[in-house]
Amino acid sequence: MDREKKLREKARELLESKEVDLVIGYGWTRYGKRVAPVFITRPEDVDRLIWNPMCVNNLTLYITRKYPDVKAMGRPAVVVKGCDAKTVNVLIQEGQLKREDVVLLGIPCEGVVYRQELYDGEVTKENVSPKCVVCDVKNPPLYDHLIGEKVEEGSGFEGARNIYQEIEELDKKPEGERWAFWMEHFERCIRCYACRQICPLCYCERCIAEKNMPQWIDTSAHGRGNVAWNLKRAMDLAGRCVFCGECERACPVNIPLNLINQKLSMVVEESFNHRPGYESEGHPPLIVYSLEDREDFIR
Amino acid sequence: MEEKGWEPRIVAFVCNWCTYAGADLAGTSRLEYRPEVRIIKLPCTGRIDPLFIIKAFEKGADGVLVSGCHPGDCHYTSGNYHARRRWIVFRELLKFAGIDLRRVHFSWVSASEALKWRDLINEVIETVRSAGPFEAYRRLNP
Amino acid sequence: MIIKRNDLKRLVEDLIGQGKRVIAPIMRMGLVEYGEIGSFDDITWDYINPRNSFKEFLFPQTEAIARYRIGKKDVELEGVIPELRETIVLGSRPCDAASTASLRSVFTWGAEEDPSRFRDDFYLMREGVTTVMTIACLKGDEDCFCTTVGLTPESPEGSDILLKETVRGNFAVTPVTERGKAFVEEWRDYITDEREDLKEIEYPEVLEGIDTGKIGARLSDVDVFDDPVWQEVARKCIGCGACTFSCPTCHCFDIVDEATGYEGERRKNWDACQFEYFTLHASGHNPRDTQFKRWRNRFLCKFHIYPTKFTSTGCVGCGRCIRVCPVALDIREVMEWLSR
Ligand code: SF4
Ligand code: SF4
Ligand code: SF4
Ligand code: SF4
Ligand code: SF4
Repeated sequence: MDREKKLREKARELLESKEVDLVIGYGWTRYGKRVAPVFITRPEDVDRLIWNPMCVNNLTLYITRKYPDVKAMGRPAVVVKGCDAKTVNVLIQEGQLKREDVVLLGIPCEGVVYRQELYDGEVTKENVSPKCVVCDVKNPPLYDHLIGEKVEEGSGFEGARNIYQEIEELDKKPEGERWAFWMEHFERCIRCYACRQICPLCYCERCIAEKNMPQWIDTSAHGRGNVAWNLKRAMDLAGRCVFCGECERACPVNIPLNLINQKLSMVVEESFNHRPGYESEGHPPLIVYSLEDREDFIR
Repeated sequence: MEEKGWEPRIVAFVCNWCTYAGADLAGTSRLEYRPEVRIIKLPCTGRIDPLFIIKAFEKGADGVLVSGCHPGDCHYTSGNYHARRRWIVFRELLKFAGIDLRRVHFSWVSASEALKWRDLINEVIETVRSAGPFEAYRRLNP
Repeated sequence: MIIKRNDLKRLVEDLIGQGKRVIAPIMRMGLVEYGEIGSFDDITWDYINPRNSFKEFLFPQTEAIARYRIGKKDVELEGVIPELRETIVLGSRPCDAASTASLRSVFTWGAEEDPSRFRDDFYLMREGVTTVMTIACLKGDEDCFCTTVGLTPESPEGSDILLKETVRGNFAVTPVTERGKAFVEEWRDYITDEREDLKEIEYPEVLEGIDTGKIGARLSDVDVFDDPVWQEVARKCIGCGACTFSCPTCHCFDIVDEATGYEGERRKNWDACQFEYFTLHASGHNPRDTQFKRWRNRFLCKFHIYPTKFTSTGCVGCGRCIRVCPVALDIREVMEWLSR
C-alpha cells in the first residue's frame, strides 16, 4: 500500500478535473532533506507530493484567513492527518470555513516525529511527537478522500513520554516549584510569536499583543511581558486547541507549550465535557455557558 | 519575608449593577471595612478579561477579587454565567502557572448584600495577607 | 602559542572571579545556547553552532534607553547609561564573530565620514567592553554555508582572538586585534610558546550553484522585485520572526514606552521585518501587505542592501534561519535561484 502514490493520483485527478485549483501538501526541500509545505497547482507537478513521518506541519493553517494570497489561488485541497483534520472542525465551528470550501485528503497516520531533525528513518518512542503517543485520531475524523487503508487506533509507543502524566506530575508539585518551572521557561521567550503564527486557530485579525492603545501586553521580552503573553495565549486557545502540537514545535527556544495547552484542554473536558475538534456542530465551550457550571470557588 | 507594617494591596473588579451597588450600600450604611481594597467598576463581570487580573498583578497587586451579580440576576442576562465559565478555566491556569490561589477570589454580591461585602472584604484581606506580598511577580519587572 | 585546557579553565575561573561576564555555549532545555557561565564546567563543548547568536549580549533583546516621570508641572526625563560589564565571549564561531561588523555598520551608519551622524552608543559601549574569543569549528552541520558566502570555519574576521583545537585537546592561540593582543599579554602566564599539531578542520562544501556576485547583480535590477519567484518561494512563510531573531546580523528594533501610573521607561526592543505590523503606516496603508513581500525584504537586506551600502556582509552563512524555520524555508534555495 503506497500512500504517496495514491496521494499523487488523487491530487492529479482533482487538479485535472478542476475540482480544485490547488493542492496543499508536503514536499522535499532542495537541501538537507527537510519536508516543507508545498503548493501544487499543475497536474504535472503532483510528483512533488510526499508522505512520511517528517510531514509534521498542520497545513490547515494556510486555509485560514491569515493567507489571503493562498485564498486567491482558488479552491484548495489540503493533505490532513487526523490531528490536522480536527482543526478543520474547529474552524467550521467558529464560522471561519464552510465544509464545502475545502477538499480534505485524509491520511491515516501512524505517528510523526517531534522535530524533523530527530528523524532517522523510524519513529521511535524517543523521537515521536507527544501528540501521537496519546492520539485517538490516527484515522482522520473528517475527510473527503481517504488516502490508503485505515490504520489501527491506539498508541503503539509504549514507554514514550506521556503528556498527561507530565501534567499530573507538575500538578502535584508545590506551587513555588511550578512557578519556578514556568518562569524559567517564560523568561527565555523571545517574543517571536512563532507559536501564534503557526497556529491555525490563532487567526485574529489583530492580536491583542499588537494592540497598543492601551498596551495590554508589554512587547518587551522581559519576564513581565512574557508571562502576560504566554498566559493570555493559553487562555485564548482553551477549549479550542486541538493539540496539533505546532506551537511547541515552532518555538525556537523549546518552551513546553503543549503542557500548558493540554492542561487547559483537560480542565475544559472535565468541567464542560468538551473536546475540541471532534465535531463541527455546536459552539466552542468558552463562548457559551451552562446553568450547571460549577461555582464551588465563588463566594 | 513579610515586610514590617505591610498591608496587602487588593484590586477588586466589580460589576456596576450588583456588587458595586452592594459596596456602595456598605459605605452609606457606615459599615466599617478595611481600606486596602481598590475598587474598579465595570459594566458587568462578563467584561472582565483575564488580562485585567494579570495587569493588576503587574501593577503591584498582592491579590485580586472579582465580584458580580448572583446567577440569574445579571443586568445583561448572562454576563456572569460567561464570566463563571471563564474563571473556572483561568483559575486553573493561574494555579498551573504556580500562582497561589489565595490571591485570587471570586464572589457574587448583590446590591442589598452590604454585610456580605464587608465580611468578604475582611476575609479576602486576611487570606491575601496570609499569602504575603507578591514579590515573585514583582521580580518579573525588568 | 598554546593554551592548555586546564589553563583555559584557570583563565576562565579568574575572569569570573574578577566579576567579568563570561559568555560561552551552555546547555539549556535541550538546546545549546550562548549564555553567561558561573564556572568553566558549565561550558558545553559538543556543539556546532548555538541556537542564538551572541548578538544579544551586544544588542539586547530589550533594554531601557530613557526613563520618565510625569511630575506636577512637567515631565522629568532621565537618560540611561547601560550597565557595562567587561565581557568575554568564549567559543564564538567565526560566522558569528564576523557578524559584529555587520551590526556595527548599521549602528554607526555614515558616522565614520560624518561625525555629526548618529552613532548607537548603546551598541558601541557594549562592543567596547567585549572580547571575542572564537574557537574555529572542526566541522559544520548540513545547514552551515559560511564557505559559500566568503568565510571559513577558521576565518579570523571579527574575532579578537582565534583559538584552534589541537590534537591533544588544547588550543592554539592567535591574537587578531589590538584588544586580542592586549588580552593575550595580560594572561601570558597561562599561555605557553609550545607547538602542537592542530586537529583537522573540515570545511563545509561550497555550494556550487550559488554565486553571491551574481545574486547582487540580479538584485540590482529593479525588475527582480516583481519576479514571481518571491511568491513561489515564500508563500509558505508564516511570518514568525524566528529567522530574524536568530540571525546574527538582523538588527531591527522598535522603540516603545512602558509606563506604570505616572512613570515609565522607553525601551528599545528587537523587531523584525517578518512581522505584519513592521511596516504598517499610521494611515493604515502597508507597503508590505503580504508575507512574501516581507520575506523578500529580508533577502534583499542581506544580499542587496548590505553589499551596496556597507563593506560588511549581510549573511554570514551560519544557517540559523534554516534550522529554526518551522516551514523549512531555506535561504540557500533562493540564493541558488537568483544565481542563475
Ligand atoms: S496526533 Fe495522530 S494523526 Fe496527528 S500526527 Fe500524531 S498519530 Fe498522526
Ligand atoms: S514561539 Fe516560543 S519564543 Fe516565540 S513567542 Fe511563542 S513562546 Fe515565545
Ligand atoms: S495552540 Fe498549539 S497545539 Fe493548539 S491548535 Fe494552536 S498550534 Fe495546535
Ligand atoms: S540570513 Fe540566515 S544564514 Fe545568513 S546570517 Fe542570518 S541566520 Fe545566518
Ligand atoms: S522564513 Fe521561516 S522562520 Fe522566517 S518568518 Fe518565515 S516561517 Fe518564520
